[in-house]
Amino acid sequence: MEWTRILLAQNSRFTAAVLLLGGAALGLAALGQPVERLGLGTSRFALRVIGGLALGAVLLLPAAARSGWAPLLPAGLAAAAIAVSIGEELAFRGAMYAALDELGGAPLAIGGTTLLWTLAHVLSHPPEFLGAVAAAGLLLALWRWACKDLVAPIIGHVIADLAL
Amino acid sequence: MKRLAVLAAAAITYVLAAWTVAPGFYDGFGPTEPYRWTCPPQQAGANTKPSSGRADIPVRGGKSEAYSVYTSDGQIVIGFLPDSFDAGTKTTIAVDITPLDSCPEPKDVRFVTNVYKITADAPLKKTANLTLLYSNLEPHPDDIYRADDPGGPWAALPRSQQGQPYTIYTSTDKVGYFSAGYLATTTPRPGVVTIGGGQALPIVVAVLIVIVVLAGLPLAVMRRRRSRGGEEDEEDDS
Repeated sequence: MEWTRILLAQNSRFTAAVLLLGGAALGLAALGQPVERLGLGTSRFALRVIGGLALGAVLLLPAAARSGWAPLLPAGLAAAAIAVSIGEELAFRGAMYAALDELGGAPLAIGGTTLLWTLAHVLSHPPEFLGAVAAAGLLLALWRWACKDLVAPIIGHVIADLAL
Repeated sequence: MKRLAVLAAAAITYVLAAWTVAPGFYDGFGPTEPYRWTCPPQQAGANTKPSSGRADIPVRGGKSEAYSVYTSDGQIVIGFLPDSFDAGTKTTIAVDITPLDSCPEPKDVRFVTNVYKITADAPLKKTANLTLLYSNLEPHPDDIYRADDPGGPWAALPRSQQGQPYTIYTSTDKVGYFSAGYLATTTPRPGVVTIGGGQALPIVVAVLIVIVVLAGLPLAVMRRRRSRGGEEDEEDDS
């Protein structure tokens, strides 16, 4: 689904709309699952939000130290960035993490989601970017494991996509 | 505490991994890095000069191979299909891409990219696909223009289907001078603007850190007090 989204976005006249729909389609992976299973409970919500801001800061840190430059995305692309970020988190660190966790425990969930997340970005990223993508996936998956939380990865991912 | 250490190690690993590529973790919604200008607009800030590119396209059995030639900054790519050139007896065909040192300003067209000169030492017999990257600091271009001379006249090339953000595509049956822009008589579509005068990201990161520290510390203290008082409620302490 992720590859389909990327291929359609690269070859369509309606890039933002395709990205938006692709993000929503990824989110469907989590449809019908209990929010606690996905790490989306509301307990300690303030801490989850602050954790998301901290993750956003970490994800932006290398770019901030290197260039300092940030685009202000047009509304359509900004909406697409938010939809894709949320969709990817629900699919990878939400539904896929939960399924792999039940199958083989935390190591399989963390390693499996990181590997599949990196593979999902092969089409959209040059090879030299994939190390950073994998490291970001590992960080977000470890947060999901350590805090049993998906709210913070969603917030951090949205911040990173909007700022880069 | 062990989990916190693992998270910290993962964060450090990410920063080190992302340090090797700009801008680090990147999902592809904005331009990957600032456009390199020959004549930077006022709002561009620090500027790096644009790169040139060159390739020797192999010829086998009298037919040139499929090949893409691009500048090292990736701001222009020209792709050739197999047997695109009238190769004659050549064994390779040299293609050069050079950003023009000057910035032509024709009366009827407003350019929003550098002007690039593409040369080949054999004539084209098939159209080549041309991709130009453009900046977020200028209005979006409507077309790619071509000329035999930087002084003009400039002709709009047929625009191919839109693809990735901040790129414009066309095809051409001749090499020459190329740039993307819009007709001076039309109202251009506004480009994306940068925020913070080129210092937006450090400001964003600093604000995030301040919020995390200022909001996180009181929350942590509150949790500790509740824990000491035996009143901690794991399910709802937000």
